[in-house]
Amino acid sequence: MPVTSTFRVWSSWRARTKAASVSEPLVRLRGVQRRFGQVHALTGADLDLFAGEVHGVLGANGAGKSTLFNVLGGLLAPDGGTIHVDGVPVSLASPRDAWALRIGLVHQHFTLVPALSVRENLALGTRGRSLDEIGQAVEATMDRTGLRVPLDATVASIGVGDRQRTEILKTLLRDPTVLVLDEPTAVLTPEEVSGLFQLLRDLAGEGRAVALVAHKLDEVLAVSDRLTVLREGRTVLAAHRNDVSARGLVVAMVGDGIADEMALGVHVDAPTGAGAGAAAASRPEVETDPEARQVVAQLSGVCGERLENVTLDVRAGEVLGVAGVEGNGQHELALVLSGRRPPAMGRAEVPDEVAYIPQDRRTEGLVSEFDLTENIALGLARLDRFGSGWLMPWDAMGEEAERIRTRFQVAAPSTATLASALSGGNQQRVIIGRELALGAPMLVAENPTRGLDVAAAAYVHGELERLAAEGVAIVLISTDLDEVLGLAERVVVMSRGHVIDVPADERTRAGVGALMLSGGGEVA
Amino acid sequence: MSQIELVLFLESAVRLGIPLALAAMGETITERSGVINIGLEGSIIAGALGGALGALAFDGAGLGVMVGALAGLTVALVFAVFAIGLGADQIITGTAVTIGGLGMTGAVYQARFGATGTELSLPTLAPLAIPGLSDIPIVGSALFAQAPTAYVAYVMAPVAWYVLFRTPWGLELRATGEAPTAAEAAGVRVRTVRFAATLFGGAMAGIAGAHLALAHAGTFAENMSAGKGFIAIAVVVLGRWNPILVLFAALFFGAASALQFFLQALGFDLAYQIFLAFPYVLTLAALAGWVGKSRAPAALALPWEPHR
Repeated sequence: MPVTSTFRVWSSWRARTKAASVSEPLVRLRGVQRRFGQVHALTGADLDLFAGEVHGVLGANGAGKSTLFNVLGGLLAPDGGTIHVDGVPVSLASPRDAWALRIGLVHQHFTLVPALSVRENLALGTRGRSLDEIGQAVEATMDRTGLRVPLDATVASIGVGDRQRTEILKTLLRDPTVLVLDEPTAVLTPEEVSGLFQLLRDLAGEGRAVALVAHKLDEVLAVSDRLTVLREGRTVLAAHRNDVSARGLVVAMVGDGIADEMALGVHVDAPTGAGAGAAAASRPEVETDPEARQVVAQLSGVCGERLENVTLDVRAGEVLGVAGVEGNGQHELALVLSGRRPPAMGRAEVPDEVAYIPQDRRTEGLVSEFDLTENIALGLARLDRFGSGWLMPWDAMGEEAERIRTRFQVAAPSTATLASALSGGNQQRVIIGRELALGAPMLVAENPTRGLDVAAAAYVHGELERLAAEGVAIVLISTDLDEVLGLAERVVVMSRGHVIDVPADERTRAGVGALMLSGGGEVA
Repeated sequence: MSQIELVLFLESAVRLGIPLALAAMGETITERSGVINIGLEGSIIAGALGGALGALAFDGAGLGVMVGALAGLTVALVFAVFAIGLGADQIITGTAVTIGGLGMTGAVYQARFGATGTELSLPTLAPLAIPGLSDIPIVGSALFAQAPTAYVAYVMAPVAWYVLFRTPWGLELRATGEAPTAAEAAGVRVRTVRFAATLFGGAMAGIAGAHLALAHAGTFAENMSAGKGFIAIAVVVLGRWNPILVLFAALFFGAASALQFFLQALGFDLAYQIFLAFPYVLTLAALAGWVGKSRAPAALALPWEPHR
């Protein structure tokens, strides 16, 4: 069934569960909210877990999947919403509470003690039993599940796969009724993944409820009975696996804009993974004026953390858009392109000086407790034109800061204003002003308008276009598809560390959106 | 060196090492839970005064030791409320507790016995010779004809080791000191464990203080702890956070302190202040990593609060 409206699936599913309310869910979450400072991680998440099912939870990075699971595991207290277990309203104030209700969470991070052995970590998870007692239980569980780990090695000395297996074993040893797994497959080999999925099916067959987050759509579809999709902290779709297509799930994850386009039939054919050669042929405008478009940066066969054989040219005067679901290697690409991280493998030729607009203004861009002059000096003082480098040229820095403040219309009373006192838009103006003062031939911008209001975003966009017109090479990395499509002449998608060229005729929100989620594979 | 001199040297080495062993044993448990209690010195001096007052009040050195333990625990409770309960910086809180402990005990002592410092005469902890063991040549009397508090240290070392490395409780304690968030996820009450470990450390330091007053001096004097709390923290490092090694490290420090008397007795013509400084130089060396590669609990000194 092709899905045209997320709302329709949602409401029809609700109607169906109402009709068949004979089987109460083991766990029912309604309207769960959770804020971290100013960030709303969950704004209204619903989740039902039934005994005997494997339930897949999907969503882009930052959609709130991990937060939701941490709430279920008692690690995070929700700010609002209700949780029912077996029909009884409960409060999960600590992991102890969750365990008392036999909810077991396999964490994505940080719950093994590196200095302790695997055996000790497993014993820690089962509290109160001695190491000898635990040994037998561990052997039995390892035999039953086929998950094998080196018991006497310290966790610090074992690899990520073994750590993941240890996490899963630790949770299973406590015999949970509700098993919740946050990204258990990311570090396992394909064979291990299929073994794990078989195990999850068996556990569900024993009458447990199993909930699972995984990034890879095909994996989730392969193992789940029912699915819940989160977007921006909210449940946007909950459906039986047979009632929803992979395309429908993609739509639910990416958002209404694309959903509308797809519903209107603007561009429904999913693109297949386009090879770089084919894409280059369909990009005539690059070849027409090679003089003005000399290559400024060149990556060939670059591998590294989250980067898989990346080959990419960036040319003067172009805006190269890099789209993708967050966490697919864009940040690492930005670090390599801006010369801040050398590639582990392959060749990266980048200019000596690259302007860089980082995505997190507050932690990467500016020092909050420094004033404007100090922040400007931090980026510019080492430039030759400001002197020998032995003494901080405060006078010149003050002048430069004042120039940037006026030129970029920073709404600050003076250059002695602390960065923390500025709004996000004004902070971004300071960063842009500083980076432009570098006079670099290339600018790498990562989500440069995230969190800015419309006017501030338009200002940033205008600056990027002006720079490109002046011949600066711009790499615009953004998870906002509209931004990429609106500004970039050439678009690539990053998926699982690969860079995929988007042919000119696929440069629509639907086409790029589908590539973002499928990684160039077929979307059913 | 005659045999008599050697026996005397060993005896004083053990006698000086015992209070360090008691305090360092407690601090080992505290630090294993991720808390560094710099306020140990405050607990020791409080234990000394508590031991003195208790021994006078109940007219018995044994009960004095109990009161001393309680006094040390109370000082540690002050530290724990701020450093664990309120998540204050452990180093700063501990320093304040040490200075406060030294000042308070001085004030109480003067209020009770007058500013001139009346010489106190306390019931003392008489040496208790273990039949058989104390007759071993040379080391027998040094190790096994000591005040009863010495045997607390001997027994505590293997017991603490067993609890730390062989019981679920010890596992949870170590996990709390290594990765509190992981421990919490496993259902451990991190702050409760840290409180308990800190109070235990305070009580042990209190016993160490009572030992100083009742077994060594037979009196109380202001500042009589003389930096033993800080040396004990160095002993923990030298003993690599292992209760059994910590016992030996404490005896080693005791020997370093005993050396000064001994070398003077042998007629070395050096200013005695140089010998006095020896244990403190050794402390610096231990803290500077002279003991070689040893790793402190990963979460040591890091305040922890549930991030909920």
